[in-house]
Amino acid sequence: MACEPNRVRLLCMLSLTFGFFIVEVVVSRITSSLSMLSDSFHMLSDVIALVVALVAVRFAEKTQATNKNTFGWIRAEVMGALVNAVFLTALCFTIVLEAIERFTEPHEIDSPEVVAGVGAAGLLINLLGLCLFHGHAGGGHGHSHGGHSHGSKNKRSKAGKSQKAGNGSSGEETNNLVGNHNSPGETRPRNEINCKDSAEVQMNGNTHFDEMDHEHDSSSQLNMRGVFLHVLGDALGSVIVVVNALVLIFVWQPCKAGEMCVNPCINTHTTDHKHVNHTLVDLLEGPTVTAMKTAGPCWVLYLDPTLCLIMVCILLYTTYPLLKESALILLQTVPKQINMHRVNERLLSLDGVLAIHELHIWQLAGSRIIATAHIKCHDPTSYMEVAKRIKDFFHDEGIHATTIQPEFVTFNSESRDSLCELSCRTQCAPKLCCGSADKPNADKKAGSDSKAAASALEVISETSEQAAAVQVRPRADAEVTVAREVESSL
Amino acid sequence: MLPLSIKDDEYKPAKFNLLVKLSGWFRSILADKTSRNLFFFLCLNLSFAFVELMYGIWSNSLGLISDSFHMFFDCTALLAGLAASVISRWRSNDSFSYGYVRAEVLAGFVNGLFLIFTAFFIFSEGVERALEPPDVHHERLLPVSVAGLLVNLVGIFVFQHGGHGHSHGEGGHGHSHSLFNGSLNHGHRHGHSHDGHGHGHEHSHGGHGHSHEEPHCHGKSLTQSIPICGHHKHNSDQQSDVCVLLHIIADTLGSIGVIISALLMQKYELMIADPICSMLIALLIGVSVVPLLKESIGILMQRTPPSLDQALPECYQRVQQLQGVYNLQEPHFWTLCTDVYIGTLKLLVAPDADTRWILSQTHNIFTQAGVRQLYVQIDTAAM
Repeated sequence: MACEPNRVRLLCMLSLTFGFFIVEVVVSRITSSLSMLSDSFHMLSDVIALVVALVAVRFAEKTQATNKNTFGWIRAEVMGALVNAVFLTALCFTIVLEAIERFTEPHEIDSPEVVAGVGAAGLLINLLGLCLFHGHAGGGHGHSHGGHSHGSKNKRSKAGKSQKAGNGSSGEETNNLVGNHNSPGETRPRNEINCKDSAEVQMNGNTHFDEMDHEHDSSSQLNMRGVFLHVLGDALGSVIVVVNALVLIFVWQPCKAGEMCVNPCINTHTTDHKHVNHTLVDLLEGPTVTAMKTAGPCWVLYLDPTLCLIMVCILLYTTYPLLKESALILLQTVPKQINMHRVNERLLSLDGVLAIHELHIWQLAGSRIIATAHIKCHDPTSYMEVAKRIKDFFHDEGIHATTIQPEFVTFNSESRDSLCELSCRTQCAPKLCCGSADKPNADKKAGSDSKAAASALEVISETSEQAAAVQVRPRADAEVTVAREVESSL
Repeated sequence: MLPLSIKDDEYKPAKFNLLVKLSGWFRSILADKTSRNLFFFLCLNLSFAFVELMYGIWSNSLGLISDSFHMFFDCTALLAGLAASVISRWRSNDSFSYGYVRAEVLAGFVNGLFLIFTAFFIFSEGVERALEPPDVHHERLLPVSVAGLLVNLVGIFVFQHGGHGHSHGEGGHGHSHSLFNGSLNHGHRHGHSHDGHGHGHEHSHGGHGHSHEEPHCHGKSLTQSIPICGHHKHNSDQQSDVCVLLHIIADTLGSIGVIISALLMQKYELMIADPICSMLIALLIGVSVVPLLKESIGILMQRTPPSLDQALPECYQRVQQLQGVYNLQEPHFWTLCTDVYIGTLKLLVAPDADTRWILSQTHNIFTQAGVRQLYVQIDTAAM
C-alpha cells in the first residue's frame, strides 16, 4: 500500500532521533553543559512531531466509516499537519525569546569541541531525515537528487519535488484539463498562497484518479510536509550549532583559568566588581602589573543569536503556507480549484434544473471533495434523469461524494422559485448559521424583480436565468434583471 | 433604450480602506460582550508585559525581560481568541460557503496546542533548574506571588459570571454551552528567579482567559462559562457543575502551589521546591487541556456530534418506517460549530412513493432531533 513506505520512514527517523536525544542528555550530564541539555529538548520536540505524524498516518489508514466517524479517519492527516505547523511556530517563538536573551546577555560555550562534535552528529541525522522525507513526493519517485545536502535551499527542493510529481502525473493532468470544463486558469484564484503552486498542481492533477491511491498521496503530502519542515528546522539548528562552535574554536580567545584577564563582552555585576577589584589591586601593587588580557572579539558572541534569528525567519516563511493550507481545509473552505460561481452557472444551465440553494462544496482531505445542494426541479418523474445529469457534472469536476436534495415546484410558486421549499420557517432565520440572514434579502429582491419580468414575458424557460440572480451578488443581480427588462421592452 | 445606471459607490479610494476596515473590526469587537472582555483582558496583559519589559531593561534584569516575553507569548493566545471571535462573525462568501464560523473551533484547538507546548516548555525549564539550581533571591517572591493570585482571581471572576444560557427554539435541546475556546483561565504561575539578579518574580498566565459565546450559532446570546466542560447533555446540570468545579480547583491548586513553594524557599531554604512546583504546574496545565483538545479534535474530524449519539438511531428508525422508504443509507452527521449540526443521507424509496411527503417528514424528524440543515437524497429503487 502507498502508506507503508511512509510509516517505515517515520519509524526509522523516530528511532534515530530518539536515540540521539538520549545520547545528548547523557553527554550533557557528563560535561554539565546547559546548552546541550536545552538542545536535547529541541530534539525531544522533534520526536514529538514525528510521533504526531506517525499517529496521523496510522489513523488515516482507516478510511472505513465507523459508527462515530462516518467519514472515516482520513482527516487525521490534515490535523497532523496542522499540529506540526503550530508546534513549529511555537518553537520559533521560543527560539526568538532565547535569542533575545542571548543578545542582552551573551555567554560563551565552555567546551566548544564537544559541542561541535555533537552538533555534527545531529546534523548528519537530520540530513538523513531530509533525504528520507524529501524524496517522498507523489508516489515513489524515490531519491531525488542523490541525497546531497538540501540544508537551506528548501525552495529549490520543493520545486524539484513538485516537478517530479508533475512529470509523473502529467498524464492525469491532461485528463483533468480536458475533463474539467473550466479552464484551470480561472478556477484557481491566486491570492496569498504564493510558492505552493507546486502543491496545488499536485492536488489538481490527482483528482481524476483512483481515490484510494491518490487521496492517500495528496493528503499524506500535507502531513509529510509538516514533518519535512520540522526536520529542516532541526537541520538548520544543527548547522548553526556547528558553525558557532567552529567559529568559537578558531576565532575566540577565551580567558584561561589562572590568568588575569577581563572579559569585556559580558557585563554582569560580578565581573564588574572583579574588574574594579583587579584594577585597584594592580594599582596598589605597583608597576609590575602585566598587560591585561582581554577575551576574544566580542562579535563572536553575537553570532549565535543572529544566526538563530535568520533561521527563525526562514522557518516561519516556509511554515506559513502549510499552516494556512491545513487551516483552510479545516475551516470547510471551497477547494481552491473549484470556482463556485462557474459551478453554479453550469448547474443552472443543465436541463431540468430550475434553481439551486444551499450549495456547499468542501474538502474532506486530499482529493476527496464533498458537495451538497438543494436542487429545484419540475416534478418527481423528471427528477431521476436530472439527478443523473447532475451526478455526471459533479463527477467531471472531480467531486464524487455528492448529496442532492430534490425540491419540487408547487403549482403556484412559479415566480418565487428562488426560495427554498423546505427552508426553516422565517422566525428562525436569524438562528441559521453561515450568514443566511443575508439570503432572504437577496431572495426578496430577486423575487420582486423576477416577478415583474415574468409577468411581462410569461416564459417559463427563462426562470432558470432569473434564478441565477439569486446566487450572484446583488449588484450583478440588478444588472441581470435590468437587462431582462430592457430586452422585454424592445 | 433605457440607460443603465452606473453605481458609483462601489469605488472607494484605496487609502481609506484600511482605516475603515480597522474601525469596523474595532466596532465589532466592542459590540459584543465577550469579545469586549477579551479585548480588555488582552490590553491588561499587554500593559503588564510592557511594564515588566521596561522595568527589566531599566534595572538590567534578564529575568524580568525573559518573563515579559513569556507574557507576550501568552498574549498571542488571547489574540487568537479575539481574532476568532471577530472572524467568525463575517459573512459567508464564494470561498467560504459555510461562513467563517468554524474559526472559533480552530482557534480553540490552536490555543490548546499552544498551551500544551507552554506546559512542555515549563516542564523542561523546571528539569533544567532542578539539575542546576540557580541562586534564588526570594525576598520579593511571596508578595509577588500573592499579587499574582489576586490577578488570577480577577480573571476567573471576569470570565465566569452567569451560568449557561438556554437556547430555545425547536424543542429538544435544552442547554448548550458555549465555549469552546478555552477560557483556560490558568492561573498558573511559577516563581521564577534568575541567577545573580536578585529578583524573585512571578508571572501570571491568567492569560488564556478568553471565553466567548458561539456567535451566531445560537440566536440568543449565551454567557461565558468555563469551557473545558464543553457540551453537556440534556438533563445533566451536575455534570457541568462538577466540571467547572474541577477547573476552579485546578487553578487554585496552581496558585497555592506557588505560594507554598515560595514559603518553603523562604523558611526552609529548600531550593528544589521551585522547579518541582514548575513541573507540577506544567502537568496540571497539560491535564486540563486534554478535554478541550478532545472536543475540538472531534469537531474538526467531522465526528458525529456526541450529543446526538443517542437520538440518531431513533431518528433512523422513524425514517425507515415512513411509507415508501425501503432503506436509509450513508448517513453523515457532523458539527459545523457549537450546536449547529449538518447532516446528509440517502433514502431508497419505492417508485410510487410520495417524495414530497417523505422529504418533509424526514426534515421534521431530524429537526426535532436538532439537526436543522439536512440534505436528503432520494434514490428510486428500480422495480
